[in-house]
Amino acid sequence: MALVQVDGLTFAYPAGPQALRGVSLRIERGEVVLLLGNSGSGKTTLLRALGGLVPHFHGGRFEGRVEIDGRDTRTSRPADLAGTVAMLFQDPEEQVVLTRVSREVAFGLENMGTPPQQILPRALSALAAVGAAQLADRPVSELSGGELQRVCLASALALEPQLLLLDEPTSQLDPDSAEELLERATELGSTVVLSEQRPERVLAAATRVLFFEAGRVLLDAPVDRARAWLDEHRPAWSTEPRLVTQRDEGTGTLLCRLRDVAYAYRPGEPVLEAFDLELRRGEIVALAGPNGSGKTTIAKLAAGLLEPTAGHVERMGRAALLLQDPGRYVVRDRAVDEVALGVGGDHVRARRALADVGLAGKESRHPRDLSSGERERLALASVLVTEPDLLVLDEPTRGVDPERKRRLAASLRADASRRATLVVTHDDVFATSVADRIVHLEKGSDPEGLTLTQAAARG
Amino acid sequence: MRTAPALALLAAAVAASLLARHTLSVAAIALLLFLLCLRAPRRRRWPYLVGTGVSAVALFVVTPFVETLGSHPLWTGPILPVIGQLDVTHEELASALFQACRLAAVGLAFAAYALLLDHDRLLAAAGFARRSVLVVALATRLVPTLERDAAGLVDSLRGRGVEVEGARRRAALLSPLLAGSLERGLNLAEAMEARGYGRAGRTRVPPPPWRLVDRLALVGAAVLTALGVLWL
Repeated sequence: MALVQVDGLTFAYPAGPQALRGVSLRIERGEVVLLLGNSGSGKTTLLRALGGLVPHFHGGRFEGRVEIDGRDTRTSRPADLAGTVAMLFQDPEEQVVLTRVSREVAFGLENMGTPPQQILPRALSALAAVGAAQLADRPVSELSGGELQRVCLASALALEPQLLLLDEPTSQLDPDSAEELLERATELGSTVVLSEQRPERVLAAATRVLFFEAGRVLLDAPVDRARAWLDEHRPAWSTEPRLVTQRDEGTGTLLCRLRDVAYAYRPGEPVLEAFDLELRRGEIVALAGPNGSGKTTIAKLAAGLLEPTAGHVERMGRAALLLQDPGRYVVRDRAVDEVALGVGGDHVRARRALADVGLAGKESRHPRDLSSGERERLALASVLVTEPDLLVLDEPTRGVDPERKRRLAASLRADASRRATLVVTHDDVFATSVADRIVHLEKGSDPEGLTLTQAAARG
Repeated sequence: MRTAPALALLAAAVAASLLARHTLSVAAIALLLFLLCLRAPRRRRWPYLVGTGVSAVALFVVTPFVETLGSHPLWTGPILPVIGQLDVTHEELASALFQACRLAAVGLAFAAYALLLDHDRLLAAAGFARRSVLVVALATRLVPTLERDAAGLVDSLRGRGVEVEGARRRAALLSPLLAGSLERGLNLAEAMEARGYGRAGRTRVPPPPWRLVDRLALVGAAVLTALGVLWL
């Protein structure tokens, strides 16, 4: 018997269009299935359906049948399926319940009714399996995004699930951490179904690929065939990084200079030391490096949100910064008002900016009613409308599908001459496709691992 | 120390500060609790300490004007409609100081609870009313989460060139903060259901064994409460 059997699954969220249309598939034990597709194509909905959260938690119209290990999800609630199935969501901050790491990992085991004497040993063993044993006694509030995601994976693995569902688990991680997390997730023998926006990270570990479009399965094939199909039919999903030739000589007007800059959030714990960077009109600079290397700090220093603890930051012009996860930070009730906030309520400019990012016709929608992708574009419009001389983007491609990434890169390139652009990103493919030069940051070699050096600059 | 005896000690400190009749006794309890709060990391403790301090000072300032007590005026002011004669007496000042110390002691006890207790152990220790205790644990985490969200919101606006200054502009952030936390709550509920929350037959991590310090803390809590009633 297949572990997963999906027959004719069609689903629509309450008051929403169909998110899945006639999906049928079988997944055998031991498979590692990669779900690809643009935002809104149905990947997350399928994962929710496999975990029973659709329809039990979300409601909506559900047709067809989903069976997990022979249990029909219409009659088994998600809490009953937990243990057989475990799910890791995209944002680790939104799935943590308790305050200490070991207790957090134990939470699911307690819910399963695991014998009390086995709970902590299993929790600690799961933490060790994901390389996070040293975090057991730490408060979750003190963990980095990467550490927190590993703790969440440990929480899922502690249940020893037959089916592990991963919804874009690496979106907040640098390439090395992402690779490590995926290795840990796939080496423990569970059947794995995961969705990803950066296929280059996952294809090596996958055995099978499903490509979704508008709620339908467009491709269901082994990895080799899938690679060929992607190259031919969906080149934006092609895994080959496309290096661009340098398009700017870096000779435009100097718009921002960081000279010998240091910064520490807490006294004696510098995250940045002796850092230099110049940004000129017309160039796009990508800032890459591992989690915790100080990229966001540099972005905030360049945009003027932080003042350096040592050194100098000079800005010759107006700066604007788009933060990570900008869709979370909306303050107005209508999209057009949200965008107009940065230009003193000028609705004409706001409407034009919305149209530029493909949101024409959605001016009166409440920002929180927009899809996550639309929210990201709304946030981008809110920044671009101010027509900054220096544009700073912090992880603008997190959770963004390759098609949209390609359009974002094209848009940034098209307007590059109007400003200097600094892009903080973990996304190598995006960085190489948009930037004139890439500055790689590395964690320093001091015992705390907190200082960094500017390791290399390519241009 | 186990969470339950620690919680009992904090509760006893609150009870003693409410039952005590001497300002010096209440001030001593508040000072002890303040020193206890200093054990928490600086960046986490300041909102609690500042909030408690401001509230206590505000109570001390306002009380003499709204209370009518004593016959030794230190200052006599104008007659106001509804309130009447404004004056400050020696007795009113003493009463204001006493009440401010009480408020500080209660506030600092809550701060110590929020900053220093292991809420996960509290949840695990609650054999009954687990749901209520979980709600309390999640609500306690809400404060730092809201703090982080508020900082993100302000940074997001400053990144667009919108400065958030003044009480009115800051107050306008409350609604989006609330909306954001509701959205976060829905996601958390989904994650909890996926992890089996609500399933029958739940077990719990065995509590650590009682140690001497835990027993002493329980005795100390009882003694502190009795002291509050009899002598403080």
